[in-house]
Amino acid sequence: MAFFGFIRVRHLRLLVRAAVGVGFVIAPLSGLAKERVTTPEPAAVPTFERHIMPMLTARGCNGGGCHGKSGGQNGFALSLLGFDPEGDYQSLLMQSRGRRLNLSAPHESLLLQKATGAVPHGGGRRLDPDDEDARLLLKWIAAGGPRDPPGAPRLSHIVISPEPRPLEAGETIPLVVMAHDTDGSTRDVTAVTAFASNEPVIVSVQPDGVVTGGSLPGEASVMARFMGHIATWNTFVPRAGRIHADAWSALPVNNFIDEMAWRKLRALNILPSDPVDDATFLRRAYLDAIGRLPSPEEARRFLADADRRKRDQLVEALLERPEYADRWANLWADLVRPNPYRVGIKATLSLDTFLRDAFAHNLPYDQFVGELITATGSVWRNGAAVIYRDRRSPDEIVMLVSQLFLGVRLECAKCHQHPFEVYGQGDFYGLAAYFSRVGYAGKGLSPPISGGEESVIVKTSGEVTHPLTGAVLAPKPLGGNAAAEPVEGDRRVALMTWLRSPNHPTFAAAAVNRIWAEFFGVGLVDPVDDFRATNPSSNPELLAALATKFRDNAFDQKRLIALIMKSHLYGLSSMANETNAGDHRNYSRHYRRRLRAEMIADAIDDVTGVPSNYAGAPPETRAARLWTHRTGSMFLDVFGRPDPNQDPPCERIGDATVVQAMHLMNGSHLQGKVSSDHGRVAALATGDVAPEAIVEELYLAAYSRLPTDAEKKQVLPMFSREGMTRRAAAEDLLWALMNTPEFIFVN
Amino acid sequence: MRDFLQPFGNSALARRTWLQLGLGGLAGGSLPGLLGLVQQAEAEEAGGSDPSARRRPANCILIWMDGGPSHMETFDPKPDAPAEMRGEFKPIRTNVPGIEICEHLPKLAKIADKYAILRSVHHNQGNHGAGNHYMMTGAPPRIPVGCGAFVSFHPSLGSVAAHERSAPHGLPGYFSLPGMTRSGGPNFLGSKYAPFVVSDDPNSKDFRVRDLALPRGVDEARFRARRELRGLVDALPRIDDPAAADPVRTLDGHYEQGYQLVMTPEAQQAFQIEQEPDAMRDAYGRDPFGQRLLLARRLVESGVPFVTINQGGWDDHSELWSNLRKRLPPWDQAVATLISDLDDRGLLANTMVIALGEFGRTPKISTVSGRSSPGRDHWSSAMSILFAGAGTPGGQVIGATDRLGHAPIDRPLSPENFVSTVYTKLGIDPGKHFITPAGRPTFLVSDPTPIRELLG
Repeated sequence: MAFFGFIRVRHLRLLVRAAVGVGFVIAPLSGLAKERVTTPEPAAVPTFERHIMPMLTARGCNGGGCHGKSGGQNGFALSLLGFDPEGDYQSLLMQSRGRRLNLSAPHESLLLQKATGAVPHGGGRRLDPDDEDARLLLKWIAAGGPRDPPGAPRLSHIVISPEPRPLEAGETIPLVVMAHDTDGSTRDVTAVTAFASNEPVIVSVQPDGVVTGGSLPGEASVMARFMGHIATWNTFVPRAGRIHADAWSALPVNNFIDEMAWRKLRALNILPSDPVDDATFLRRAYLDAIGRLPSPEEARRFLADADRRKRDQLVEALLERPEYADRWANLWADLVRPNPYRVGIKATLSLDTFLRDAFAHNLPYDQFVGELITATGSVWRNGAAVIYRDRRSPDEIVMLVSQLFLGVRLECAKCHQHPFEVYGQGDFYGLAAYFSRVGYAGKGLSPPISGGEESVIVKTSGEVTHPLTGAVLAPKPLGGNAAAEPVEGDRRVALMTWLRSPNHPTFAAAAVNRIWAEFFGVGLVDPVDDFRATNPSSNPELLAALATKFRDNAFDQKRLIALIMKSHLYGLSSMANETNAGDHRNYSRHYRRRLRAEMIADAIDDVTGVPSNYAGAPPETRAARLWTHRTGSMFLDVFGRPDPNQDPPCERIGDATVVQAMHLMNGSHLQGKVSSDHGRVAALATGDVAPEAIVEELYLAAYSRLPTDAEKKQVLPMFSREGMTRRAAAEDLLWALMNTPEFIFVN
Repeated sequence: MRDFLQPFGNSALARRTWLQLGLGGLAGGSLPGLLGLVQQAEAEEAGGSDPSARRRPANCILIWMDGGPSHMETFDPKPDAPAEMRGEFKPIRTNVPGIEICEHLPKLAKIADKYAILRSVHHNQGNHGAGNHYMMTGAPPRIPVGCGAFVSFHPSLGSVAAHERSAPHGLPGYFSLPGMTRSGGPNFLGSKYAPFVVSDDPNSKDFRVRDLALPRGVDEARFRARRELRGLVDALPRIDDPAAADPVRTLDGHYEQGYQLVMTPEAQQAFQIEQEPDAMRDAYGRDPFGQRLLLARRLVESGVPFVTINQGGWDDHSELWSNLRKRLPPWDQAVATLISDLDDRGLLANTMVIALGEFGRTPKISTVSGRSSPGRDHWSSAMSILFAGAGTPGGQVIGATDRLGHAPIDRPLSPENFVSTVYTKLGIDPGKHFITPAGRPTFLVSDPTPIRELLG
């Protein structure tokens, strides 16, 4: 342990934590468990690939904070985590005029001297001179620094044992990692394997591979990585305590979503929360499906409706509303909308028009993706082609396509082997090769105006080469066993054929997952665009069933949404019961979310009855209709709409912040609308509407529900307070309503 | 203020402990000052054994001269240049023997012992968007960007300061007046760390800082009534179990902070520029720029770690000298007053004052703009930066350009060196790395070497 200094551990921890978004801690590698290493051929001469590379990786030499970072450290560069043995060998043996490896005086080799701290080393002492590894290293240098002989067995894959099983709180299991070589031999590499848990609070893993169940129920995936090979061990910790079997049989099942969700909750021993009342469901459904609040009249009608099927009827009605297109186009605009300063304002509008059109016509998802991926023609006439105006090289567009439509983040693999994935540069550029024949005609980018018309065309030539080997790469689907094969015509058409094929592993699942997360706040795979073995779905059965259903329904998004919204699961309360407060992944309660920037802006306009005037947009344009974030709005900026100046531009902030609270509390935006002479308050207060009716109307507008008797009793005296006008009382009440979490959150 | 603290020793911990005893017992000291001290004490503790943080973390007022000020017409005069390069201005002596600056900066010339001049920072980004990005973030833009572009590939100085440091009592950690600079944004840190923009003019009679003070039409009594009413209509049940991490409880905390900021008169003083004596307001200059510098002083006095004053108009492709004859005197007066005022209050030791733009301007006089009266064009091979406070040894010039002002001939320095210096003084390790939301480890500054002459 002492050898595994701060830098490496910190770096890996950061790397891993970031890769999954939250709270992911990797344990440092063990330097103590040496006795558990079965040295493969103890008497033989050590070789580079088999012995030295794993050592460099285990000792942290090629970590991203040290020599593994781009450009290396202090002139000595290694490939990140050892993905490129060829380059690393050159770096060690050929560079630095033979000082790193001194074959005639092995003891003098810088590699050894630095690592053992005999000469000053920025990374500290990584190796004890008496350590077995130090002897091995010396022996290797003395032997002339041999590489593996041609035809020597190579690492094929790694296997974790024992078989995964659930853990009880406090229970520990030592994991053992076996490396399987191409000649069929195996060796125990546990001690030089890196382990990480994606939920260390639920299941932690020690540097030596011992996993421990934590006190919180939930699931976790433990990753093991050895020399670019990854294996996972998925497990869960059920909640302690007993739930009567009747509780499970009493749960309603509206469709297969419920059935599969209950099955998962039962395994975790967690009961779902109670269903919500009609008013909460109404508000949630409006905001989630079409991004706006119901009007007071709509709310009144729905609440008074006695039909038992009224929730399902509401869902069907919402899907036919024109606002549906804006709500879903905005989601995609966040993902593909370019910086207008780069591509030009006309192209930005053109893309926006394509998106709104697609959702207005409920364009089947596979056709939607097809129009984007195989887009050709003028960026002024075909908005889909704008993604190529923005992403102008195969390696740029392939990152977008893989993240959006495959749910796979490939950025890492552009430069090095993905640290948590099977993908490397060959995969990245093989996929990129589908885009190698995209060409351009007309006027390209000339920021900041980029005013000219440009067309995306398909060329008859153009290849992608591997950055290390220089070899021309044929188009190759990502993962799976599909071989690269020559493609006739537009290579992108072949890519679409592969995506649409019924056995594609993630195309439908990635789409379903993204839509699911819009209704439940967290994806079955989360982050929604990070599908990988080391970041498993919280309910693989459900995700697969939804994906199949989506495909069987010809990728009809509205039918998928109806299915989701009609499930009993979607209508659960956000309040926790005695079993599920700690659940954040399995939907046993509804997770509260702040309204998105445009939704809350439009909600304020609707509730106050005072439309906003956005510069450059027609009067009374709703925020949901804005087509460029260049439209100035301090309100939308404060509430975290994406900033197009940032690269990448699609980061949207969903958290509540102090600045937002202050903006609602004191901002002239809300105050101006509340006190406007042309708004809802003025209209109500200047007529002869009774105070009680005013209160009801404002509650319906802001909360989509009627006030309770107790609430009326508390609020009404204000209207008759001395010195208080009806107008001022109504203004204060509306201000108060819109400053509460009941307004700011989707509950 | 300091004298109060002496009996309790001067260590951060002692000071903090003392502050925790309560603010009420303290007569005479202003709350903004105290708030700043709490923050300092916390930051000192956080600094730990990191050598870069050993000095007390300083706050920063960054005066951005958007467009790119001419180095020859400000802090790097070239009287020996030939006529087609020299320009119309002459140098004047400062109160530090051997240092000369432009004749239109007479007030700064009198206090040259209080600041350092950097004459050898240079880079290779010759347009506004890219140059701004490089100087504001310490990272060159990853792809070519145009002059008009507003781009961000990396978090700005101010956003990192807000992320790493915090202001007391709900005050935002990063203000930008009257607008954000092109690349002054948070990039991957997220919009929570975007600058708090105050676009209103503090030189106008009815100036209010948006959102942080009560809006017009709502007096304190009405605000109290509204707050009470909000309590009555706030009916959404909270989830008590902390394991649920109820985001509504987080919002509750934000509202509490907001109430506190609004209802604490001493905290509100930070924005009440009208409380400054007339003489002080006059000294800064009765114009928007001067009053913004004065407001910036009040903000850092209250513990805000980073304030940017974004002043446009320095892009003098034509009419350079006639423009500067008008622009430089009030600028000189405001900046010199700020430095002296901070010094008089004992705040300069803990406050950086930095003035710069995205680059310098061409040594050769130019009529490229097509206008009849010439100017100078963009020139990133040389620029000058004024750097004062937070322990910066004053009265020195660091680096030098050649006889004509083309390029550094001594101690060439990079934007990376510049931002590393600012970070170090902010108490932030310029060598630290962040992880982007995409999972990529990113170094704060690629070359985290501060400028040693400025560290003191």
